[in-house]
Amino acid sequence: MAMIAFGSAITKPEVYRRYAEPGIRLGAEAGSEVFAMPSVGSIFASYNALIDQARACEELEALVLVHQDATIVDAHFCEVVRGALADPEVGIVGCVGAIDVRSIAWWEGSVTLASFVHRYHEHGGGDLPAFSWVWEEAPPYARLGEVDTLDGFLLVLSPWAVENLRFDESLGQFHGYDFDFCLQVRAAGKKAVTADFRAIHNHALEPFDDPEPWIQAHVRIAEKWDGRIPGVGTGAGSWEDRARRAEADRDAARVVDHTNALQYAARVQEVQRGIDEMRESISWRLTAPLRRWRGGGAGGGTTPRLPLRARLARSETRDR
Amino acid sequence: MIAFGCAISEPDPYRRYAEPGIKRAAEPDSAIFPFASVGTIGRSYNLLLDAAAAHEDLEALVILHPHTEITDPSLGAKLREALADPEVAVVGCAGATGVRSIAWWDGAVSAGPITQRYVEYHGGEVPGFAWAHPTPAPAEVEVVDGFLLALSPWAVRNLRFDEGLMFGHGFDLDFCMVVRQAGRKVVTAELEVTHHRALELISDLELWVESHIVIGRKWEGKLPGQDGPTVDWKARARRAEAEREAARAIAYSRRLAFDAGVETLEKQLTGLTETPSWRLTAPLRLANRLRHGLQARRQPPAAA
Repeated sequence: MAMIAFGSAITKPEVYRRYAEPGIRLGAEAGSEVFAMPSVGSIFASYNALIDQARACEELEALVLVHQDATIVDAHFCEVVRGALADPEVGIVGCVGAIDVRSIAWWEGSVTLASFVHRYHEHGGGDLPAFSWVWEEAPPYARLGEVDTLDGFLLVLSPWAVENLRFDESLGQFHGYDFDFCLQVRAAGKKAVTADFRAIHNHALEPFDDPEPWIQAHVRIAEKWDGRIPGVGTGAGSWEDRARRAEADRDAARVVDHTNALQYAARVQEVQRGIDEMRESISWRLTAPLRRWRGGGAGGGTTPRLPLRARLARSETRDR
Repeated sequence: MIAFGCAISEPDPYRRYAEPGIKRAAEPDSAIFPFASVGTIGRSYNLLLDAAAAHEDLEALVILHPHTEITDPSLGAKLREALADPEVAVVGCAGATGVRSIAWWDGAVSAGPITQRYVEYHGGEVPGFAWAHPTPAPAEVEVVDGFLLALSPWAVRNLRFDEGLMFGHGFDLDFCMVVRQAGRKVVTAELEVTHHRALELISDLELWVESHIVIGRKWEGKLPGQDGPTVDWKARARRAEAEREAARAIAYSRRLAFDAGVETLEKQLTGLTETPSWRLTAPLRLANRLRHGLQARRQPPAAA
C-alpha cells in the first residue's frame, strides 16, 4: 500500500518526544511508517540511514525528514505533500525556501516562502511567526513553487530522491546538508519546491553556538558547487576584490551588532528608569500596604501573586 | 604650549561640546584653532597641523572631533607625561593592538575613562567602548580613535594626513600606520572625555565599507594583525564570504534576543502600571501634574 514515511534523527529523546513526535502523529496517516532513529553521527550520516530504511519500504510516496525540535502543525500534511509531488519533476519539498541562493546562508537569497514559527525559550520564551505563517498577512513576494533551496528543518523527499541521492557526508557534521541536497536535486534536473504546509521550529535565538563549523561548511560547499550551479560560489570581481569586500561587509555586520548591543543597553536603561521612577513615586509608596495585602509580599511589585488559599496557608504557618 | 584644533563642519556641536571641553583643559598660553573644515578630513587636519607647526613652543596639538568634550582638567599634565617619552608621537583615549583593518576595535582594545552620551531613548550615557571589552589605558597600541588625537611636535612637523582618503573613515588608522612606519609610538592615556554621539556607531556604513577596502589595499600585508602579504586570495575570499554571512546571521539573531529582553522588561513595566493600586492613584498623579503646571505658569520669567 502506498505510504508516506516519516523520519527523525534523535540526539535528545525528550526533545523528540516534546516537539517532533506530536507533529508526526498529527501529520501521519494510518499506514505511515515512522523511523524515530537515534542519530548515527553527523546529520548527513543519520539522514542517509533514514533514506536506507525508507528505501526498504514498498510503494513509498515520500520520506519526510523532521528535525527533532520541529513540529508539523498541519492535519492535512500528507494531502499537501501528495499535491506537491504530483509533478514527477519534483525531487524535494519544504515549507521555507528561497531563490537566487548562492551559499548555505540561504536567507541571504530572495526568500519566497517561510510558513513556520520560530519558537524560542530565552527571556521567558516567545514566538516569531515568519512572513507567510498567515497567508492573509503575507507580503507580495510570498508564493509557492520552485526554489533554489529549502530550509532543512522539515524536508520531504520524493521516491526518486530517496532512490537516487545521498547526503554528502564529506561536508561536515550539520551545516549545509539541506542546501547541498537541494543542489544535488537540481543538478540531476529535478525541482525543489515549496508547499503549503506549516510547522513550528523550536530552537534558540542564536543561529549556532560556534560559527566555525558553519564557516567551514560554507567554504566546502562553495568549493564543491562553484561552476556547477549558476551563482553558487561565484561573485563579482577578482578573488582579491571579493576578499576585500567580504571582509569589509563582515566587519560592517559586526559594527551593526555592536550598535544593536548599545541600543539594547539604552532601551533597558530607559525602561528600568521608568520602573524605578514608578517605584519611588509617592502614589506607589502610598499603596504599598494594598499590594502587600494582595500579594503577600513586600510591596515591591515583583513578588508573584499567590492564590488566596496559598496565602492563607502561609500566614497560618507564620502564626504558628 | 599645548594647542587645540578642531575642523568644524557644523558650528553647533563645536559650541556645545568641543569648545567647553577645550576651555576646561586649555592653559593660559594655549593656542586654539577652530577652523572650518575643508575638503577631506585629511586636508582639514593638515591645515591644523600647519597652523600648529608655526608655534615654536609647541608641546602638543590636540585635534578634537566637534562632538568630543574634554572633561579632564588635568589633560595637559597627562599629555606631557605621555609625551615625555620622545618616541611617542600620538596619544589617544582609546586604541588597540592586533589591528587588521579600520575595524580596529576587533583587536585588543585599551581605553581611558570615556563616556558615550546619547540622546536616543530619552538620553543617557554608557562607558565608551564597553562593547569592545577594553583594558584600561595607558598602553602602547597600534592605532587610536580619531575622535581625540594628541600629536607630538615631531608628528606635527614631520607627518601629514592622507588627503586622498575620500570617504571620511580610517584616517586615524592610516595616520597611526605612518607614525609607526617612522619608528614612533602610538599610546593610549587615561584622558577623561565625553563623546556626544548617537548609539549607532557608524551611520554611513556603505562609505565605511569603501574606506575599509581602500585602507586594506593601501596597507596590504603591513597591518599589524596580518601575517604578511596575502598568498592565496581565493582562500581568503572564501573564508571572508563565509565569515560575512556568519556575522550577519549572528547580528540578526542577537537583535532578536535583545528585542525579546526589552519586551520582557516592558511587560514588567506594563504589569506594574496595570495594578489596581496604580490605577487607584491615577487621579492623585493627575492632580500633581496639574499643580506642577500651575506653579510653572505662576513663576516670573527669568531675567534676560
